[in-house]
Amino acid sequence: MIKALGYFIEIIKGSLITTRHFMVNMWFHTLKLFRIKTKRKGAVTIQYPEEKRDIASRHRSLHRLLKREDGKPRCVVCMLCVTVCPSECIYVEAAEDPDPEVQKVPSTFIIDLSRCCFCGFCVEACPEDAIRMDTGQIEFAEYSRDKLIYDLEKLTG
Amino acid sequence: MSDWIIILIKIICALVWFLVIALYLTWAERKESAVIQDRIGANRANIWKFRVIGLFQPFADAIKMIFKEDFTPSFSRKFLHNLAPFVSFFFVAITISAIPFGDVLRIGGREIKLQIVDFNVSLLFVLAMLSLGIYGIILAGWSSNNRYTLIGGMRGAAQLISYEVALGLSLIGLILVYPSLKLSAIVHFQGELLWGWLPKWGVFLQPLGLLIFFFAALAETKRVPFDLPEGENEIVGFFTEYSGLKWGLFMFTDFMEVLIVSCLLTTLFFGGWQVPWLYADGFHFPWGGEWLLPHGIVVAFQVLAFNLKVFFFCWLQILIRWTYPRFRYDQVMDLGWKLLVPLSLVNIAGTAILLSLIG
Amino acid sequence: MAKIFIDEREIDVAEGTTILKAAKSAGLNIPHLCYHKAFIPEGTCRMCLVEIEGIPKLELACSTQVRDGMEVSTKSESVIEARKGVLECLLADHPIDCPICDKAGECKLQDYYEEYGLFESEFNEEKEKRQKKIEIGKNLIHDQERCVLCRRCVRFLREITKNEELGVFQRGVHTEVSTYEGILVDNNYSGNLAEICPVGAITDKDFRFKARSWFLQRSESICPLCSRGCNIYVESHQGFSRFSLPKRVYRIRTRENQIINGFWICDKGRYEYSYLDQERLDNIVVNNSQDSHSWPEITSLIAGEIGRLYHMKRSAHIGLILQSWLSNEELFLIDKIFRNDINIEKICFLDPPEEAADDFLLTAERTPNRRGAKELGFDLQPANWEKFLEDVDLLFVFASPIRDDTDFSLLKAALDKIEKTVLFASHNHEINSSFDIVLPMSLIAEKGGSLTNIVGSVQGFSNALDAPGDCRPAWQFLVELGNKLALNIDFYNQFSDPESIREVMKKEISFFREKQ
Ligand code: SF4
Ligand code: SF4
Ligand code: SF4
Ligand code: SF4
Ligand code: FES
Repeated sequence: MIKALGYFIEIIKGSLITTRHFMVNMWFHTLKLFRIKTKRKGAVTIQYPEEKRDIASRHRSLHRLLKREDGKPRCVVCMLCVTVCPSECIYVEAAEDPDPEVQKVPSTFIIDLSRCCFCGFCVEACPEDAIRMDTGQIEFAEYSRDKLIYDLEKLTG
Repeated sequence: MSDWIIILIKIICALVWFLVIALYLTWAERKESAVIQDRIGANRANIWKFRVIGLFQPFADAIKMIFKEDFTPSFSRKFLHNLAPFVSFFFVAITISAIPFGDVLRIGGREIKLQIVDFNVSLLFVLAMLSLGIYGIILAGWSSNNRYTLIGGMRGAAQLISYEVALGLSLIGLILVYPSLKLSAIVHFQGELLWGWLPKWGVFLQPLGLLIFFFAALAETKRVPFDLPEGENEIVGFFTEYSGLKWGLFMFTDFMEVLIVSCLLTTLFFGGWQVPWLYADGFHFPWGGEWLLPHGIVVAFQVLAFNLKVFFFCWLQILIRWTYPRFRYDQVMDLGWKLLVPLSLVNIAGTAILLSLIG
Repeated sequence: MAKIFIDEREIDVAEGTTILKAAKSAGLNIPHLCYHKAFIPEGTCRMCLVEIEGIPKLELACSTQVRDGMEVSTKSESVIEARKGVLECLLADHPIDCPICDKAGECKLQDYYEEYGLFESEFNEEKEKRQKKIEIGKNLIHDQERCVLCRRCVRFLREITKNEELGVFQRGVHTEVSTYEGILVDNNYSGNLAEICPVGAITDKDFRFKARSWFLQRSESICPLCSRGCNIYVESHQGFSRFSLPKRVYRIRTRENQIINGFWICDKGRYEYSYLDQERLDNIVVNNSQDSHSWPEITSLIAGEIGRLYHMKRSAHIGLILQSWLSNEELFLIDKIFRNDINIEKICFLDPPEEAADDFLLTAERTPNRRGAKELGFDLQPANWEKFLEDVDLLFVFASPIRDDTDFSLLKAALDKIEKTVLFASHNHEINSSFDIVLPMSLIAEKGGSLTNIVGSVQGFSNALDAPGDCRPAWQFLVELGNKLALNIDFYNQFSDPESIREVMKKEISFFREKQ
């Protein structure tokens, strides 16, 4: 009996918590309805497409390929990113560069974003700092998978 | 002839009220749960970018439901399968006919009762109709011809029948206090005063009965924390094989039950349309004050009071649904048979003894 | 015999061996760059320094001979210190551009640096700039910055090919390996230079930037391009799950075999591997139509044709044209089925003409198994075509691969007259369309078997690559054909793989028994 009573008390306490949340939040919602500015808000929701959350500086977003001063991609096709990529979604082909100090440049650089798991290993593996995931771009959904295959041109931007 | 027209108008008004409020209960549930959980809730449905805090959401839901594929499994018993949701829906919808929304409205010498029909045993009628709702569940579970839905249906039937007992018994005390089975009479009784100031509402005369009735009625609505017949995302239940509009009907029936339970609570325990100290000619306060009002205003007050009380109980039920976790099945049965039924018997005995003592 | 101790391990070796060899025989690896088994040690790189008990200074493991009771330490502190020092000096002017270096992944310098170095250079001076991309041969590119002056290349050209096309010039920090007055390295073994260079100073033009070495899967095979039978590794790329590659085979490397090819292969065998991937025939074609057919169906069809002629006592009208690309086992089966069982006489060989041999490995015969065919009793003389093609009703041609310079004019004219013609081919070729049935054949690298080289060594091999499409090795077809013909079922039933055929061959033919 005492146990049941304790249970009952806890039940009441529970509903008091939800009631309190309801009342407090409703109060702020109502204030907002009357355009009264308050520091606290009735909800923690971020209304996504209109409001955006700040992206942390180390957030891994869409890849980009960096360029040298003369505009050529910095990538030297060492294929370390290809090697380390757990999703096997990078494909690179090398071409000969006339400059003997450069020698190796990518002729094809494909990242298949439909497979990429955004682990960032490629960025860590790259010895030339040629690939980064710091664009802050997180909205690149497409209606077809083909459009998620990013080539050299798209990646160097 | 004109009697029929009046009845028709009453039916239409009551049904529209019933369906619209139930429809908006879906919206209220979303919003209330959101506010409880510090969210905003559905607010995107719009007409020409006109959002009005998501008030169009129920329509969006309805349109979605209508255009979804209405799939009837090939192995189901087609006729009964199609019939089941309508059975559930019908037996809940018909109960509204016995609920009194207000006292009599006098227009041009004609007295119109604000109740669709006011017959002698309307309380029994309501209970009977609510019990018949079980048919819909069993039919749905069985006609889907799927083991899991059948078991879900059985679970539902067992739960509803168990609580039916407590529900019925909890009202006996009430009937002892207000010696009538007529809902309008019960409401009228509640207009009287105790010790000259306290309205004779069921909540004051039958507090234990109210609690038992409330728990049992919650269980009858099959919603959290009593959603064992079908737990939307975990428990495979009786309407698993339904989709589209028919599935929507089952969900909608749930909300209608919430509304009906609120109406009954109001009518039986909270004075129905009664406003304390408001009489046919206006307020007569116990401390001697008076505030006379014309007949139309009084009726409006009564209908408003009824609505507000109903809304409060809807709010309360949604609050409960979003506060508590689900009971285990054995707990549900324990609660019904080992607690509510004995308590209601105690309630009957206590009430009877008290009544005979008072004379 | 001398008993020595390396890192407190007792090793018994012959008197006169070097410490490095002794260590290797015991499975211990002493870092080395300039030492190569094929050459007399020169001791230029100093990577192999070891400490010998009783000798105050460190000694070179590659050129110090063992003495009985010698105690050598390869892991002592001073040795590690010395290695680091040597590495630091080697790397003082080294560009360490491993990301663009084709040697990366199989480079000894890289390995040693990872193992012992990993230090910050103490040299403050600018690195010496040198030429990074010089063409020193028609297949070779030289990067002077990466050269560690081990002189392996110079020694190879001096000791093996004996034409000394490279030399070491200048002195001190300016020392460099170079050609004499710009005359390019041009011999049939130049490809070996890229392989023996321990670093990425000499690289293959053919492999340049094509793939990274760690993606390549290396499997053993035998070079089929001449009758020397040099041992090779076929290095293929499995590709990536999402992207298909232009080819499978990326390079051919040598596999050591002291009896046949030592450490070397010729440039022909090294660079002519595109036939493995290009223009491959990979489906069964019947009457030039697009319909698909299965092997069992076609085998039954062919068996039916042969059986019909055989039972009509017309087997003399069956003709068979072979090429010595077939393995011993396949030739053996052909011998059994066509000569023993159905007894036909019209068998001839259509081998490509002989070409100039060189004085080292490359032979004049440009097919791998002429000796094997000879030992199995086939007549290898060029046939009198007109006579041969007379009166043939059913013609089988085993041609793998057909070369563009083969003379088909006579054959082509005759083909139209023959009732039924069957071709076993590995490549698409215009002649294919003149045959009624064309069956795709696996190449040597895609099947198992054995080959007999020009001096009569029999070498077994197994498949290095997966055969493309529907390709099948000829032996598999022949075993099934033998079964289907049902003239000698017990005999063909016992064969499940080339090894089982070889066992029977060894029992029946003394040559193969002795040569194992
Ligand atoms: S983020 Fe990870 S999965 Fe995506 S491309 Fe880079 S390595 Fe591959
Ligand atoms: S790791 Fe860097 S340099 Fe190497 S291929 Fe990838 S992006 Fe290019
Ligand atoms: S030679 Fe070796 S260490 Fe030098 S760049 Fe090439 S791989 Fe790296
Ligand atoms: S080119 Fe290669 S083999 Fe020749 S000396 Fe330099 S490092 Fe040694
Ligand atoms: S390996 Fe001994 S000095 Fe180079």
